[in-house]
Amino acid sequence: MKTIKHILLFLVLLGLTVACEKDFEEINTNEIDPTAVDPVSLFNNAIIGTSFATGQLKYDAAIVQQIVTPNSGLLTGGNHNQDNRFASSEVWDDYYETVIKHTGVLINELENRPEYSNLYNMTRIIQAFSFMVLTDSYGEIPYFEAGAGFSSQILLPKYDPQSEIYIDLIQQVQDAVSKLSFDGENVTGEVLYSGNISQWKKLGNSLLLRLGMHVSKVDNALAKQTVQSAYQGGVMESNDDNYVIRHDNNFSNPIGNFLNGSEANNFYLVDTFVNFLNDTDDPRLGSIAVRYMGAKSGTEQIPENASIEPVDQIGMPMGHDNSSIGEAVSAAGLESFYGFSQVDRTRMVKVDAPMYLITYSQTSLLLAEAATYGWISGDPSAYFEQGVRAHMELMGDYDSASAIPQANIDSYISNHPYDGTLEQLYMQYWVSCFLNGPEVYANFRRTGYPDLTPNPYPGQDISGDFIWRITYPSSELAVNKEHVDEAVSRMGPDDLNTKVWWDTE
Amino acid sequence: MKNLFKTKDVFHCAFKFDRKMKLLLSFYLISLFQIHAGPLALNQPISIKMEKVALEVVLHEIENLTTYKILYNDNEVDYKRIISVNYKDTPLSEVLDAIFKNTSITYETLNNQIVLNRDKSKTQASTKAIPIRVQRSITGIVKDKQGVPMPGVNVIIEGTSIGTTTDFEGEYALELAEAGSNPVIVFTYVGMKTVKKTIGQQSTINVQLEEDAQSLDAVVITALGIEKEVRKLGYAVSEVDAEEVSVNRSTNFMNSLQGKVAGVNISSLGSGPGGSSKVRIRGQSSISGNNSPLIVVNGVPIDNTSFGTNPGSTGNEPGTSDGGVYSDGGDGFSSINPDDIESMTVLKGATAAALYGSRAKDGVIMITTKTRSHGQGIGITYNLNVTNHTPLDYTDYQYEYGQGENGVRPTEANPTSGQWSFGEKFQPGMTQVLFDGVEVPYVPVYDRIKKFYRMGLDVTNSVSVSGGREKGGFNLSISNLKSEGITPNNEFERKTVSLGLTQDLTPKLNVNVHINYSNEENINPPNVGQQDNTIPVSLYNMSNSMPFDLLDQYKLDGNGNEYVYSRFRNRTNPYFTLSEQFNHIKRDRIFGNIAAKYNVLDWLFVQGRIGQDYWSRDQQYNGFPTGQASRGPAPQGFVNGTFTQDVRKFRETNLDLLISASKDFGEHFNLGVNLGGNRMFRRSDASRVDVTDFVIRDLYTVQNGRVKDPTYSLSERAVNSIYGAVDLSFNDTYYLSGTFRNDWFSTLSPDNRSILYPSVSGSYVFSNDVAEDSNWLTFGKLRFAFAEVGSDTDVPPYSNALFYNIDPNFFANSAGVLQPIAGAASGTLPNPFLKPMRTSELELGLDLRLFDNRIGLDFAVYRKLTRDQIIPAQISNTSGFVNTLINSGESRSDGFEFMLHLVPVRSEDFSWDINVNASYNKTKVLSLLTDQPGDRILVGEHIFNGFLYQVVGEEIGQLAGFGYRRDEQGRKIFGNDGRALPSEDIKLFGSALPRWVGGITNTIEYKEFNFSFLIDFKLGNKMISGTNFNAVRHGLHKMTLPGRETGVVGDGVNLAGEVNTVATEPQQYWEVVRASQLIEPIVYNGGFWKLRQITFGYDFKKFIPEDSFFKSARLSLVANNVLILKKWVDNIDPDSFAFSSDNVSGLESTGLPTTRSIGFNLNCKF
Repeated sequence: MKTIKHILLFLVLLGLTVACEKDFEEINTNEIDPTAVDPVSLFNNAIIGTSFATGQLKYDAAIVQQIVTPNSGLLTGGNHNQDNRFASSEVWDDYYETVIKHTGVLINELENRPEYSNLYNMTRIIQAFSFMVLTDSYGEIPYFEAGAGFSSQILLPKYDPQSEIYIDLIQQVQDAVSKLSFDGENVTGEVLYSGNISQWKKLGNSLLLRLGMHVSKVDNALAKQTVQSAYQGGVMESNDDNYVIRHDNNFSNPIGNFLNGSEANNFYLVDTFVNFLNDTDDPRLGSIAVRYMGAKSGTEQIPENASIEPVDQIGMPMGHDNSSIGEAVSAAGLESFYGFSQVDRTRMVKVDAPMYLITYSQTSLLLAEAATYGWISGDPSAYFEQGVRAHMELMGDYDSASAIPQANIDSYISNHPYDGTLEQLYMQYWVSCFLNGPEVYANFRRTGYPDLTPNPYPGQDISGDFIWRITYPSSELAVNKEHVDEAVSRMGPDDLNTKVWWDTE
Repeated sequence: MKNLFKTKDVFHCAFKFDRKMKLLLSFYLISLFQIHAGPLALNQPISIKMEKVALEVVLHEIENLTTYKILYNDNEVDYKRIISVNYKDTPLSEVLDAIFKNTSITYETLNNQIVLNRDKSKTQASTKAIPIRVQRSITGIVKDKQGVPMPGVNVIIEGTSIGTTTDFEGEYALELAEAGSNPVIVFTYVGMKTVKKTIGQQSTINVQLEEDAQSLDAVVITALGIEKEVRKLGYAVSEVDAEEVSVNRSTNFMNSLQGKVAGVNISSLGSGPGGSSKVRIRGQSSISGNNSPLIVVNGVPIDNTSFGTNPGSTGNEPGTSDGGVYSDGGDGFSSINPDDIESMTVLKGATAAALYGSRAKDGVIMITTKTRSHGQGIGITYNLNVTNHTPLDYTDYQYEYGQGENGVRPTEANPTSGQWSFGEKFQPGMTQVLFDGVEVPYVPVYDRIKKFYRMGLDVTNSVSVSGGREKGGFNLSISNLKSEGITPNNEFERKTVSLGLTQDLTPKLNVNVHINYSNEENINPPNVGQQDNTIPVSLYNMSNSMPFDLLDQYKLDGNGNEYVYSRFRNRTNPYFTLSEQFNHIKRDRIFGNIAAKYNVLDWLFVQGRIGQDYWSRDQQYNGFPTGQASRGPAPQGFVNGTFTQDVRKFRETNLDLLISASKDFGEHFNLGVNLGGNRMFRRSDASRVDVTDFVIRDLYTVQNGRVKDPTYSLSERAVNSIYGAVDLSFNDTYYLSGTFRNDWFSTLSPDNRSILYPSVSGSYVFSNDVAEDSNWLTFGKLRFAFAEVGSDTDVPPYSNALFYNIDPNFFANSAGVLQPIAGAASGTLPNPFLKPMRTSELELGLDLRLFDNRIGLDFAVYRKLTRDQIIPAQISNTSGFVNTLINSGESRSDGFEFMLHLVPVRSEDFSWDINVNASYNKTKVLSLLTDQPGDRILVGEHIFNGFLYQVVGEEIGQLAGFGYRRDEQGRKIFGNDGRALPSEDIKLFGSALPRWVGGITNTIEYKEFNFSFLIDFKLGNKMISGTNFNAVRHGLHKMTLPGRETGVVGDGVNLAGEVNTVATEPQQYWEVVRASQLIEPIVYNGGFWKLRQITFGYDFKKFIPEDSFFKSARLSLVANNVLILKKWVDNIDPDSFAFSSDNVSGLESTGLPTTRSIGFNLNCKF
């Protein structure tokens, strides 16, 4: 009997144990982390995430011969025209894992919620901008199925032809701009324009203008139509309308961080760029550049040795590595390559420097181009002047020590009136897009300007004169190879030689 | 009484101290011999009244009423006979006479023991017929190795039937008859090695008995603490002698077991004292998750979280792998003092461990700590262990060309090459200009390891006090381990207190308590396994002509910042790191349990137990000290640097209840049943603040930080379980066992929450049937086992939803108003439909003992299938997420393992034992996302190069990366600049996991001396060597020597298919390992043969007088990691990995140099 009692007791205890499963839901509930947040906070995350990663220094800026490093290894890329997938994946990873991810979640959640209509349409504009940067760099990319991991459980998105992506991007932006409403909700918490609908519309149209111009070579009609639509909608009208990430010490400028950190002594202004500014007496050289006179090593790049005088600036020639740079150093009469000019990391690329993604200056220069073609009304030279002036006026926004006196701007403008040649326009666009790698690289491919001498580095991975496309990250080859292969079958090999769709001969 | 053997003392688990119980067993043997003992008047009056109970119950009651112990052979005495007794103040002798009236049972007394026998006048008539003439008396004491008296030892004269047993004080007295010319006295005891002594002219013979792991009657502790005789088991277990971890020891005691246990692969990590030990049993079953065995201490699981390093791992192990710090903060093993361990059992297969259900996937290591002394009274043990560690330098670098790049040495101030040895050929009289203009000779600087590191020293003091009486005992120990690491600022200290108590409160109720406390402090555990911000990588790649005294002298510039000595700023000057970087870890841990066991009936008991493991851990470190050259400057008004403060707490509570019954049915059958339930609850939380840049220089506090990033995380999980086991035995020859366990998991969705794990095992002792009269077959057993277990450990709590983080810092909008920023908390896409993974295992085994145990073989072969594996599958990041957890993978491990024990020589004074163990394991991936061969997932990445993949159809843990691009004839293809081109696709180089793991131990004992050495090996694994990767690109590796003057012309063809003739500057040529990730040159065979341990011991028993308060003293000289006999990798010890995670297996990145330790262990008992 006693035994039976014990066994009964045991069974009761057992029952209790199993019954305790009831608290499992409670135990498995995360009480710390939220499952929902204000969508504006997520949107802000996406906006800040569009600030360009350092990959643009290794590829874009080197290809267009503005900034280069003689060092190889991790920094290899446009400097040696070699395939470095660590560098090439940077923009991809940053954008897809931050911007596309969060805009994807937002678009999915806000699409059918009228109370978030303005936020929804702002999100579409930011997402479209990001996709444009991605497809311009890589060609075919996951677009229609991208960013839908959470909403639709699409784990391995397929790649889409750039032609289809562009058509959809144009439609998305047009639609978003048209649906942004002054009567809609007020999104004051967003960090770009604090909810100013008119500025958002101007951003959308400026983006549309850029999208249209990008396809000018491949589909002139589409380009014209898109540019006209953007112009009619109203584009940026001052530097106040710029698409800028105002970095601070907590959310620091990626390039600023990089060039103030481990790579402080490794990146230099290219002679092509310095010489152009010098030859045209461009006051922006004094805003951008610094040279540490007589520096024999990185450690001698100290304020005492610094000169920001335009006349002192010496750009580094393209095509050298750590060993052959010695020739260039002797040719320039320097102590070491540490004595070439750099973009000033205490001013223009300080840690909290703003990063400009679409500016009034760039927009104006594109308008000048459109007006030259006769696509839009207005005086091309007025747009041109406006574009140059706006960029010069922006220098002071990087750092007060970079500000250019109004008189100097005026004198430059009057000395360099628009001569109506596209080359002059594109050269100014090249300068105006300094530190905006993806756009300056896209424009170089689209227009062929600046008319650069190919990088003479002996060991190159390219068969043509220039890198025409950035390669996919290794991770995509590893996990999404099937779709990569589909893309390659349409676009061409996944190398540096394949041209993107809009980059036709 | 008798039956308690089988399921005795489920919770306190120690088997050695139950000698009284074993007296019974020993009586099988005793009763074969004549027992010489005078009859004693049993006139003590007793009162006893019992109705219709078994004889054994009456005898048990008599034991309780008197001081006598009643001993009998259950083959002779019908102890199940039902009787009734009713006596009041009747002399015991009368009671016994009445009970055994009309039976053939007679009784005798021996000291305070009453021995029951069949009537000797019939059964042993022949013995009596021999006339015995008393010649003289032999007396002595029998003790165990610890010097504790042993009661109940059989003492007989060989070849005669003259014998006795020792009393409770371990003493015996024997009257020696004329029996042969040179009589030998034999001491036997269950579970101990038999000792034979020639009597000669001695009248006193004292002996010490040692445990015999090979004993047939040895009892091991199996799952849930149930003791079983080895002969009955249907599966493989390995018992580990506590001395294996306490004599020749390391700071993490598990590391001492390398190469000693078949099927167990232990890697000590090159991560400094107090670091983790990576233990894998029977290979690695989980494709990407946790493969660490469960640790059970005194029957209750404890936490084995490893705070080891796992950079690049896609798994979600905790670890200390962020904020610039990648150091090994220890694991669950590292808080255990080896001196407290009484015994250890390794449950290897799924069947052995099936009763632990979801936690048993990777086997169980069961540790029993001491609870009481083995003899009467109070005993004190003092143990001193001192070991010295010498860092070993395996580098075989080139010292022909010195520091510099592209063939140029530094000849001016400041452009110091620092980390490159692509300079000029050393010539007499050459100088180099370093730092701010110091000119020193341009000569090789050898012995970088010896120059930088110091000798390490470990000192362990431990004292234990133990006591024991018949009804209980205690053991209290305190210990202190102080370890000076080889890194000059690294110290580890561990203090432990351990208390074990056991007491029979009533004859039926026993209470058992274990409490272990440890306090660990690890100061500056070295940063390992990283490229940047770590001493080993900077040191191993330092230019080969860099004078270390200058490096030390110039660690700081005038502002107190790091003096930039290399353009490669990430390679921080090791002396700067040493002086400026700190990392303090403190852990307090208390674990233990209280158990109460009530013997309801002789054959039935109920036990309740509550166990808890609690630790709190504080860590503070400045990952990047102020002024480190690789960091950018702080904004105006601040200084740069980082600081992290991390506080974690962990608690696991286990409540369990067990009912256990064991009963004989008839003469041949025995049935044992165990039923139980368990509730496990685990909670861990972590508070952490990272700060960047400081207001006041050198004040590392969170308040002083400029940017503050606080996080708090909490994780809770619970598992409820019921379990049961049935054991059947027939004739002591056939055994069959079945177990089940059902677990319910809180982390899983209700539909997937409940999982049943069954097991069945059986064994057949064929030697009972076939070898009755065999003179060579001592014992033979065949066994089989099948089980299914599982694991939810790879499902983190809350994996069912996507969570968001609010950024601790706000961001101003265009109007200047600060706005919150939020983002998804993880790059892992949540999957709410996960279920636990399942492992099923089939095992067959053979246990053979030949020639009186001179040869022993224990062989096991198994197949283990793991399915529904939880895989963090890497997905395309264009989905927004980097990976997701899925239930998909399936893998199969096939393997065998054996332990071969040989005794080539065994004599009174000299013995030689050889133990060989080896295991072979091959795990193949059967499916991942699909079962298409070639389907693969990435589970880990090397810092710069190389990947770890799982690939369907291949062995688990495939190392991969870009190889040489080759043409159809296999010739390397070189680019136009003469540099090697990488393969188009990622190549698989082979598995990172060894197929063969094992060791050979030779033990020689001669009188008071013993000597043993262990050779161990791991074979059949590949590695990608990060150390050699750097050595190649920095020009230190000898393979970079050819072509220094003329340029390297790669042996192969150019893109056009013609023989390559283009010479490339060597530095550029070798840079491809980095720039193109062409890592084929640094893929190696990762196997080795090592002379792992040498132990030389001496027992001072000769010098200890009989009645001294000093009981024993032993001194052992020990050496560990003595010699690498064979290895295939250049410049490093292949065993010195710094990573604890399986997801980065085989991806070597420079850790601390391995050390050779030499020292001594002194053990004294009072």
